[in-house]
Amino acid sequence: MPTIKLQSSDGEVFPVDVEIAKQSVTIKTMLDDLGMEDEEEEIVPLPNVNAAILKKVIQWATYHKDDPPAPEDDENKEKRTDDITSWDADFLKVDQGTLFELILASNYLDIKGLLDVTCKTVANMIKGKTPEEIRKTFNIKNDFTPSEEEQVRKENEWCEEK
Amino acid sequence: MARHSHFHSDKVSSSSDHQHHHHSRSKSAGNKHHSSSNGTDLSSNGVKNGSAAGYYTNGNSATGNGHWKMARVFNDGDESTINRKLPKELLLRIFSHLDVVSLCRCAQVSKAWNILALDGSNWQRVDLFDFQTDIESVVVENIALRCGGFLRKLSLRGCQQVGDEALATFSMYCNNIEYLNLKYCKKITDRTCQSLSLHCHKLQYLDLNSCSMVTDMSLHYLAMGCTSLKHLDISWCEMITSDGIIPMAQGCPKLETFICKGCVQIKDIGLMIFAVACPNLQHVSIQGCRNIQDQGIIELALHSPQLQYLCVSNCSQLTDLSLTALANNCTQLTTLECASVSQFTDTGFQALARNCHLMERMDLEECVLITDATLRVLAACCPRLEFLSLSHCELITDEGIRQLGMASCSAEHLTVLELDNLPLITDSSLDHLVACHNLQRIELYDCQLITRAGIRRLRNHLPNIKVHAYFAPVTPPPNATGTRQRYCRCCVIL
Repeated sequence: MPTIKLQSSDGEVFPVDVEIAKQSVTIKTMLDDLGMEDEEEEIVPLPNVNAAILKKVIQWATYHKDDPPAPEDDENKEKRTDDITSWDADFLKVDQGTLFELILASNYLDIKGLLDVTCKTVANMIKGKTPEEIRKTFNIKNDFTPSEEEQVRKENEWCEEK
Repeated sequence: MARHSHFHSDKVSSSSDHQHHHHSRSKSAGNKHHSSSNGTDLSSNGVKNGSAAGYYTNGNSATGNGHWKMARVFNDGDESTINRKLPKELLLRIFSHLDVVSLCRCAQVSKAWNILALDGSNWQRVDLFDFQTDIESVVVENIALRCGGFLRKLSLRGCQQVGDEALATFSMYCNNIEYLNLKYCKKITDRTCQSLSLHCHKLQYLDLNSCSMVTDMSLHYLAMGCTSLKHLDISWCEMITSDGIIPMAQGCPKLETFICKGCVQIKDIGLMIFAVACPNLQHVSIQGCRNIQDQGIIELALHSPQLQYLCVSNCSQLTDLSLTALANNCTQLTTLECASVSQFTDTGFQALARNCHLMERMDLEECVLITDATLRVLAACCPRLEFLSLSHCELITDEGIRQLGMASCSAEHLTVLELDNLPLITDSSLDHLVACHNLQRIELYDCQLITRAGIRRLRNHLPNIKVHAYFAPVTPPPNATGTRQRYCRCCVIL
């Protein structure tokens, strides 16, 4: 099994199966464009991903190496966020900072499955909460003036049960 | 080594490439990510002043009102990790997993989140059915502003408070709408169709079912401006006549589905010209249009070679001439519903079955003249039959059911068989059906000669079948006042 070496922004090098690494469309495109012939010792620098996050990403990609390709975004599909597997749910029990770093990394590396599941996890942190609870969850400052707040509340009250 | 450096500079992103990559990712969403920034302030007269075009092309740029909503999404000093770390595109990606209730709550969190939650990309398909009683016109106007040109699919089904004003605003702002469901929006009148005609030229699907104030004028308007319509439902718009149908058909020649249940004023002439003008018809229901006669159906059949679904239930003037015309011209037909068309006979159904081999669903309830001869030819010629209703076809006997039970459709496809109110069939009919392995439901209400024992034998062969039958209690208990047991006639399942 051929491997490549991924180098994190802070200089750590991770040897990874090519097939696992290719779940990243960014890396796959790069390898396909280049051809992977002789130079086994190629080092792929990933200047936007630090070692801790890269390690997590590789862990995720290793577990999901036999998954079918993630489905295309279908606009007409029902919005579901309750379809996260228990392995992924456990894997994503991390602090918010790490979770957002994973979103950034999966976007940069173009790993759709990981991007979907991380975004859904954040969506689930929003769902079912009041505006104040959402602020608390994400430490967001309420910067509305009282009259602005009243106005947006009115504009959006139709969605609340009466 | 040279290759390595090439690799490095070109293929692996430097941080500026990173930005670039971001953009190309979100490109798939097209112009979605222009924020619908001129906001939701509807209380003012912004609605009337702002033109839809201006709204759309301005995108992010302020419309010059200096409103707070123009503020930058992210302040440098933002204490919130989510806002500091994630760019707008990725926050929007998270929001794309949210329902309308969550989005409305996010809009109240902060100024930055208000802009994000109300971004048009989150509001392309909106279904307000769950909120129907609460939806007042102002909500629709709010949504119109919120969604603007992004909105392609809106369901206001059951939103009875919504009227012409709101839909006028809506039409102006959401002129890219393709699917609009106004079923049971009973307040709307021809003005709504006028607004749609003026602004919504991309409309393909329109449901006006039960909008009973709509008249022929509406169809005139649609013919002028909504010429891309493929699906139109005007059921129970009882004021509509042939005078509306004719121009509508000529203006909307792409129609594939046309449903006009209960439009009793539509006559043959309307249906005839309609059929000539719309050559792509696939689904047509004229259920209860009791003024339609054979001539209308003959013309429809002649000009609609792609017809797959036809409902003529309760069109009681039709005769076998209609069935013959369908047989000769509409060989793609898969569904025919003709309940209570009591003049149809074996002759018509024999012609139909011999030519239309793709039939899957047939509702022949109360086609009281048909006999076992119809079943014989259905059994022989329609191998795909899945659903067959013979309720109240009182001349059917065990012999007809036997033919059906032996047919090739029975073993493979037949899933529902409605045999209620057939006074002549006996338990031996049920014995003939034991090979129908896919049969999931059978109706046997008021079949006087069917017994519990017969049903039990059927269930031995088809253990998962739902049998609907009713047997009166043996003797009504005398003096059973007050505590008499109650039977639900429709729910007694053995």
